[in-house]
Amino acid sequence: MSVAAITVPTVSHSVASTEGLEEKISIRNLDFYYGDHRALKNINVPLYRGKVTAFIGPSGCGKSTLLRILNRMYDLYPNQRATGHVRLDNEDILSPSQDLNMLRARVGMVFQKPTPFPMTIFENIAFGIRLYERLAKSELDDRVRHALERAALWDEVKDKLNANGLSLSGGQQQRLCIARTVAVRPEVILFDEPCSALDPISTAKIEELIDELKDDYTIAIVTHNMQQAARVSDFTAFMYLGELVEFGETTRIFTNPNDSRTQDYITGRFG
Amino acid sequence: MSPRPQASLYGVRRRRNAISMGLAFAATAFGLSWLVLILAVLLWEGFGGLSLAVFTEMTPPPGSSGGLLNPIVGSLMMTFIAVLIGTPLGILAGTYMAEYGRYDRLTTVVRFINDILLSAPSIVIGLFVYEVMVAQMGHFSGWAGAVSLAVIVVPVVVRTTEDMLILVPDTLREAAASIGLPRSLMITRVAYRAARAGMVTGVLLAIARISGETAPLLFTALNNQFWSLNLNAPLASLPVVIFQFALSPYHDWQKLAWTGALVTTLAVLALSIIARILAAQRKTS
Amino acid sequence: MQPTERPPVVDVALQSAGIATADRLDRTRILQRLRLSDAAFMHLTRAAAVTVLVILGGIIVSLVWGSLPALRAFGVSFLYEEAWNPVTEKFGAIAPIYGTVVTSVIAMLIAVPVGLFIAVFLTELCPMWLRRPVGIAIELLAGIPSIIYGIWGLFVFAPFLQQHVQPFLISAFGDIPVLSYLFAGPPYGIGILTAGLILAIMVLPFITSISRDVFEAVPSVLKEAAYGLGCTTWEVSRYVVLPYARVGVIGGVMLGLGRALGETMAVTFVIGNAHRISGSLLAPGTTISATIANEFTEAVGDLYTSALIALGLILFVITFIVLAAARLLLMRLNARVGA
Repeated sequence: MSVAAITVPTVSHSVASTEGLEEKISIRNLDFYYGDHRALKNINVPLYRGKVTAFIGPSGCGKSTLLRILNRMYDLYPNQRATGHVRLDNEDILSPSQDLNMLRARVGMVFQKPTPFPMTIFENIAFGIRLYERLAKSELDDRVRHALERAALWDEVKDKLNANGLSLSGGQQQRLCIARTVAVRPEVILFDEPCSALDPISTAKIEELIDELKDDYTIAIVTHNMQQAARVSDFTAFMYLGELVEFGETTRIFTNPNDSRTQDYITGRFG
Repeated sequence: MSPRPQASLYGVRRRRNAISMGLAFAATAFGLSWLVLILAVLLWEGFGGLSLAVFTEMTPPPGSSGGLLNPIVGSLMMTFIAVLIGTPLGILAGTYMAEYGRYDRLTTVVRFINDILLSAPSIVIGLFVYEVMVAQMGHFSGWAGAVSLAVIVVPVVVRTTEDMLILVPDTLREAAASIGLPRSLMITRVAYRAARAGMVTGVLLAIARISGETAPLLFTALNNQFWSLNLNAPLASLPVVIFQFALSPYHDWQKLAWTGALVTTLAVLALSIIARILAAQRKTS
Repeated sequence: MQPTERPPVVDVALQSAGIATADRLDRTRILQRLRLSDAAFMHLTRAAAVTVLVILGGIIVSLVWGSLPALRAFGVSFLYEEAWNPVTEKFGAIAPIYGTVVTSVIAMLIAVPVGLFIAVFLTELCPMWLRRPVGIAIELLAGIPSIIYGIWGLFVFAPFLQQHVQPFLISAFGDIPVLSYLFAGPPYGIGILTAGLILAIMVLPFITSISRDVFEAVPSVLKEAAYGLGCTTWEVSRYVVLPYARVGVIGGVMLGLGRALGETMAVTFVIGNAHRISGSLLAPGTTISATIANEFTEAVGDLYTSALIALGLILFVITFIVLAAARLLLMRLNARVGA
């Protein structure tokens, strides 16, 4: 099966070069350990501002692990640690003095499984906003509406804002989670396999969403669906067994990869 | 790009978090300190009286020294009989609920009622056995005491048996059926064996539970200050003797009460620890 | 969900084995015998299951039967009369009922918040290596027989309260209008408040372990989502974990309440056994179970005995309602989560 058999949608993602692109997040010499097991080995990769970077690779390659370092989610678990440098703008995220709550206000995350809080739809969004700002009721209403509009959910829920978040369908729940993340006004949004639990129609809606969100946010997305990565991202990083094998513009990675492992994965020889 | 969160709001949230986490820590220390206090006092007061005499001599009249032999023997006898009666009954009932009638109406009702009996006041159970045995027979007896303890054992064993049998995977049952094993044999030879450790744990927990029970014995077995192995008459038991001695004004008796309390607690703790070890083994196997 | 009627396994095994006729006849005879014992076993287990219902029925019937003389003699007034006089044979249950309810309420008011906070500690804050020991310690507390709590309460806790705590309470609240009645009177040491406090310590491990189990069952993705928004640990516990686990916690609290209401030995030692309702929490009182425990063997006369059994019936009804409500709530929870 030749590489050319993969259809790569053109147009939206052609980036000439990386000149003039700002690195929102810089990852340098990153290692990650589960106990004694070294799960990530010397990762060096940039996340460019205003662009979508996809992380692909076979199961267990470490892509989700890498994503969860960017908002220090691993801090919740005692046996996990990271060494190296991860800079958000100019702050080192990994330093012990980093305020985690502040970090997570700037770096939001959407998970694989839709996780609405046990609250009403309105509260799900308002909850996050209230953490950081004291707003008058009308302002709060506006913010909630705006977040739901950005998540392409407003029309479907505007009449039932007081319904429980769990009463929505899977795809709607995931868009609710995206709205919730967006409402907090982060700078970076991390998507960890956001569509793997969803049907194709919801998946398509969310991919559209990511394309729109890109204008205002820096986005990193982990996906095991190569076609999705090709559709959605500007840059792609291929990971294998804890290492970053190749990084580059999505079009080039999928049409002309440098590394034979990348080529093998893309053509479906393994994974 | 995004507005920096208001510093004062964040400060409030951090303070609230710190206070709440401090409270959680304090609550844990609070709870644990009671355990330490109670055990410490128990050891302090009871250990001094602990001697061979406690296990060899009988309860003395006030003012002289003695031991706790007859209440210990009485308790052992009644516990043994209670387990003898209650365990088979509980296992059989649990077996029905897990194997034959897992989804039928009877099981739902029995499970509901059983769970209520599990937490029912034990003094009410004592009243029940008084009415049906003591009043009918015309006298207190060790049998009545044993039966009241059995009534407490049954719900515990039913619950653990049902839970453990439900955990046995259906594939095991299907494998037994495929070689033509009749249902009853499949249950007794295969399912019971698979659930054995859990069921034994249940029995141990039931024994631990009844070892400390006083209320149901107060007016079924009553008490007996003399040596007796006669189950057909009032029989001494450790918890009731502790009750009597502790509330008395005699210092000797109070000392024996503490020692009896220490012995009871050690027995209960030992049973719980063994049950826990068995449960842990089950998890790893 | 009724399982479909299946042919007996032995027949299926025979048929599929396609055994030769002669062998088959022998085997059929053996298996027929087995089938009888098989059916017998099933009926045995079913009978055992029914026995559980019989026990409950027996308890209710015997309590009602034994209470009849008292109920006939006093009628509904039994529930609200305060006098408890064996000599004149006038019996009223309001004092024991009051004591039972008040001591249990005091116990829950303390045990529930403390238990929830300990559960939060165990699930969110406690370092891994400490988790099992602390959990075991809490369960040890639950395993201590109630009579131990009783004698500890009588010989250690009550004197401590009498000497150090109660005088302080009396003087501290002495000038405040309503509370001065609540904390009035000589410091006996024993009394309603003491009994309530001992009950709190007894119920605490129960609430803690149920809450901890329910908190641990909250999917970690949900907690991560909240942390991902930048919530503090307290905010995650209060706004996400607790609402999610709410039904389980309430069920656990009601179970704890049921236990507290029926507790006998811990309370009997320290309640003071006074058949009256006082305004002050520091005064002695009595509970239903303490009354029965103290007086049953001394009761002379059928009416006295019957009154005590009637008390037992009241206690059983109260705890039955609380426990049944708790179980129904928990059943609804399990149905919602999806068995």
